[in-house]
Formats: sequence, structure tokens, C-alpha cells
Amino acid sequence: MDTMNISQEILQAFSTGEVAVAPITIFAIIIGAIFVNNVVLSQFLGICPFLGVSSKVNTAMGMGAAVTFVMALSAVVTWCLQEFILAPFGIEYMQTIVFILVIAALVQMVEIVLRKVSPALYRALGIFLPLITTNCAVLGVAILMVQKEFSLVTGVIYSAATALGFALALVLFAGIRERLEMEDTPEGMRGVPIALVTAGLLAMAFMGFANVVPLP
Amino acid sequence: MKSSLKNMVLVLFTITAVSALLVALVNTVTKETIAQTEQKNKDLAKLEVLPAFEGEAELEEQTKQIGDFTVGVTKVSANGEVVGYAVEAPSITKNGYADRIYLMVGFVEKEGQTLINGIKVLSQKETPGLGANMTKEGNKLELSAVGKNPAEMTFKVKKDDASGSFDSLTGSTISSRAYANAMETAYAGYLWAKGELDTSEEAIADAPTGASTVTEGADTPTGATVAEGDYANETEPEAQKGEISNE
Amino acid sequence: MSKLQLITKGILKENPTFVLILGMCPTLGVTSSAVNGMGMGVATMAVLIMSNIVISLIKNLIPDKVRIPAFIVVIASFVTIIEMLMKAYVPALYASLGVFIPLIVVNCIILGRAEAFASKNGVVDSALDGVGIGLGFTLSLTVIGMVREALGAGSIFGYNFAGDVMPLLFILAPGGFIVLGYLMVLFNKIAKR
Repeated sequence: MDTMNISQEILQAFSTGEVAVAPITIFAIIIGAIFVNNVVLSQFLGICPFLGVSSKVNTAMGMGAAVTFVMALSAVVTWCLQEFILAPFGIEYMQTIVFILVIAALVQMVEIVLRKVSPALYRALGIFLPLITTNCAVLGVAILMVQKEFSLVTGVIYSAATALGFALALVLFAGIRERLEMEDTPEGMRGVPIALVTAGLLAMAFMGFANVVPLP
Repeated sequence: MKSSLKNMVLVLFTITAVSALLVALVNTVTKETIAQTEQKNKDLAKLEVLPAFEGEAELEEQTKQIGDFTVGVTKVSANGEVVGYAVEAPSITKNGYADRIYLMVGFVEKEGQTLINGIKVLSQKETPGLGANMTKEGNKLELSAVGKNPAEMTFKVKKDDASGSFDSLTGSTISSRAYANAMETAYAGYLWAKGELDTSEEAIADAPTGASTVTEGADTPTGATVAEGDYANETEPEAQKGEISNE
Repeated sequence: MSKLQLITKGILKENPTFVLILGMCPTLGVTSSAVNGMGMGVATMAVLIMSNIVISLIKNLIPDKVRIPAFIVVIASFVTIIEMLMKAYVPALYASLGVFIPLIVVNCIILGRAEAFASKNGVVDSALDGVGIGLGFTLSLTVIGMVREALGAGSIFGYNFAGDVMPLLFILAPGGFIVLGYLMVLFNKIAKR
């Protein structure tokens, strides 16, 4: 019988009863998360801080750094929770509640620890930390990481890269907005509307990265 | 209310405990009903993808476990005659945008030929308005397959491979790839159930590779490529999903 | 503020999308078509009304410093419960709105209203605020969805009028930002009059 139009992968799966997962390179994960699937510009996550804290490049950098830190940390914690508590006990339906609580707690803890351990870093990042709790990108990425069935290491790399993508978009955007301030924008366009249109153009530029690497 | 460490911990703990309890309670109450509804939908889908027939349906089910996935093949007969095969299959080797795509595919045999009679999407969590259009009746993916002989199809999207049988959904190549993959799994499941799937090592070695994404140096005999610059139309902005969805 | 004003303010004066600029993520994410925008709006309204009610009921029991985490837990549980109930008892409705439900957790509108209104007002007013803001959100999302669908897919509410020739860009991410930006200008112009 002719089964030639069925691919090796699927024949293999039927033969062994296991799905062989094609390995994704770390490089592809990083490039994919920063450029191809930029969290803000193509996944629409974290738009609020993107619009809110992007009027100055300096603050944008601070926010970007704080988000990267918290995202990488929350990836470790949520991954462990998923693997060792939620999945084994079959209570995956608690995922959203647990993750969101953990992230909120984590942010508070980071704030306290940072204040004690590194006052300089705290002064730089401190004011951004409370804002992160409500940054939907942090929760979004934690859930995505579980969905994509990443291992702990790739998951953390993926989260950190996503956060870097957020930081990159934020800083680029802030740079453009600083310039825009000085331009004579039509009255009705000033503020958020022109920012949104700018973000649209930036998103269009980022679409050029599509298909550069296979997506995770 | 003034905050003190004691009342903060107490209140937060209480709220979390009450919420968790409520969620757990609702979960216990609804679990059964949800499972029943899903089963009912599946049973309905089995008949929907096959031609209408008179009389009592006799179902004969075989399942193949592949890792965490189940491919279920139901042979539906009525009045002693085989109506067709309804195959429930996930996209085992390709993820959609958010999650696997589960299809119910109906195969019928006419004059010694196998034909795809109908397709129903059992579950998908693709982006609304883009990939999720695969659930609409008469969408491009469905039209690419229904009425065709699966033995003559190439389970790839045209964008990746000129010989592919599937027109992709507008703006959703990734979803379309997963759909084609689920169709391929379904066909493999159908052949497997009939004992016609050749999984010998030679057959595997001869089979085409399924790499239809752009991979460096992927030596696909069919030369799967994605034209550079063919960017926009073919990428789906991920997670509009907020892909957050537990999709 | 009269009860009626509480409801109508969400549509113009305190429109969540165009004036308060809340909940941008789902706004941009799901408005690739009018029906989707409407679906998200309705699902959000339901959650918003209920979370506003509960939060205004328990507001006096929560210490200030843990207000936000407490609200988030309440909202997240709500969303999870609603999703389960819908799946079990109204599967048809779940089939059409289900995809939006998990997205609501990360919608800052819910938390925003909990914080800005429900934690300071009574139960009835909070519920009405939920209705008003919910209505405004639904309307805005439907309009954005209509514009994007018309420009990007050449159809309105699924009825195709232009074939396959429209620039898909409007359904994709950049189009979302751009359409929202220009609609905001238009809205400000109209609202100012």
C-alpha cells in the first residue's frame, strides 16, 4: 500500500508511539522572542507600560531592565510550580491564580531584597517594580512558557529574551517619542494617538523579521 | 484599612484560600459535565464528518496512543455496511499558534478509492479572526481537502511547498501547517486502523520529511522554501492570543 | 452622579479605550474582526460587573498594601470560575466567547476599575460602573473591529463586499496600532463637540 505521502515524523510516531520533538536551537528561541515575535509589537502584550513609560529613553531603559529581571525570575518560579505542584496534583486549572499571585509576591520580594542589598540598583529600578505586577506580559510569558513545553533552561532563556524584546521595543519607541516631542504634531494627534501610529510603523518594521528563524 | 504584617498576611491568605476553594469546588462540580459535553460533541462530530445514513449506527473504535496524544479511529457501520471511518487526530508533530489542533476527519471508500468526506475542528486555540477561521464552514483549508483522495495529497501548505495540497488561511501559515499536520495524522491513523500503514524502517527512510518550516540546511527532497520577503501575509501575530490563553 | 450618568459616562466621557486608555492588550489583540471585538467586549463586561460587585463588598476588609494582589486573586478566580461554568452549562456560548475568557485576566480594565471605582464606592454604583465601562469597551472594540475588518478583509460582520483584494496589514499587528491611533483622533474630535 502506498503510504509515501506520509512524512517520516508521523510514521516514526506511529511506529514507536512517541513523538520525536524536533530540537529548537537556543539561537532560534532568542532571535524569535526578541525580533520575530516581539512581545509588544506582534503579540500585543504589555502595551500599557509600553505606552505609559516610554516618553524618555532613560526611564524606558530602567523599566526594560526591571522587567527583564522579574520575567527571568518569575520564569524559574512558575516553571517549578507547574512542574512540581500543579501538574503532579492535576490542578492545572489553578494556573492563572497561582501564577499571578506568585508574580505579585515576587515583585514585592524583589523590591524588599533590592532595597536591602543594593540601594543603588533599587534607586534605579525601584519605581518601576510596582508597575510590573500589572504588566500582563509577565503573566502572559509565564503561561506561554508552560504551553510551549519548554525545559527549565530554555524556558528561562525564552522569558529573558522576550523581556529583552520588550526592553528593545520600549527603548526604540522612547527614542522616537523624544524626537516627536519636538515636532509640530497636529493638535488632535498629540499624545497617545501619534504614539499608537508610531508603534504601528515600528510593528511594521519588525514584521521584516518574520520567517528569519523557525518559531519555537 | 491600615496595613500591618499580620492583617496583610491573614487577609491575603484568606482570600487566596477562599478563591482556591471556590475554584476547586466549581471544578469538581463542572468536570463531569464538561467531559460529557466534550464526549457528546465528539460523537456528534463523528457522524457529521460522514455521509448521512439510515438506521442504527454501529461504532467500532480503535485507539493509538502516541506520547500524550490519542489518535482515535471509529469505524461507523449501519445495516451491516461500512459507512466510513471517523478519525480523531491531533497535529502531533506541529503545534499551531497556541496549541495542538484536533480534527475529526471522515474517510469514506468509494469504488476502491478513499475520499475525505468531511472535516470538523474539535479544538483549536488559534488567533480569533486569523487562525481560528479554520472552524468556519467552507474555509480554504477545508476546501483544500474535502472530496479529495488522501493518497494523492501532499500534506503541506502551498506557501511552503509548491506541490502542497493546502491553501493556507489568510495570515495564518502556522495554523495552516498544524492543520495539514493533523490531516496527515488522521490519514495515517486511518491507514493504521486498516492495517495498511507501513512503519517498517525502509518505509520510514523512504518517506518524505515533514519539515515545512524554514530551517537552515533542511534537506527536504521537495525543496520546502519560504520565499524571502514573503513576510507579512504569512505570519500570524502570535498571542494576540495573549496566547495566554491556556490555549 | 446620577445612576444613568454612571452608565452613560463609560460610552463617551470615560470611554475605557479612547479616553482612559485601559485594556489596550485585548483591544489590539482581538479586534481583527467586528464579531471578535464584540465577543471580547461582552465577555469583559460580564466579568467587570461581577468583579466590581465583589470588590466593593470586600473593600473594607482588605489592608491597603495588599490591595492589588488581593484584587488580582479575586479577578483571576472569577475568570476561571466563569470559564468552567460556561464550558459546562452553556457550551454554545463558550464556543463563541471561550477564546476570550482567559485573556480577560490580563485586562487591566478590570483591575483599573476595581482600584479606581469599586474600592471607593457602594455595591450598586460599582455594578452600574461595570455596566457603563463594559458598554463603552464593547462599543469601542466593535467599532475598531469593524474598521480593521473592513480595511483588512473587505468585510463587515463577516459579509464580504470587496473580495480578497484588501491589504491584510490592517488585520495584523501594525494595522491594529494604526487604526486605533486614528480612531482615537476621530473620537477626541467628536467627544469635544
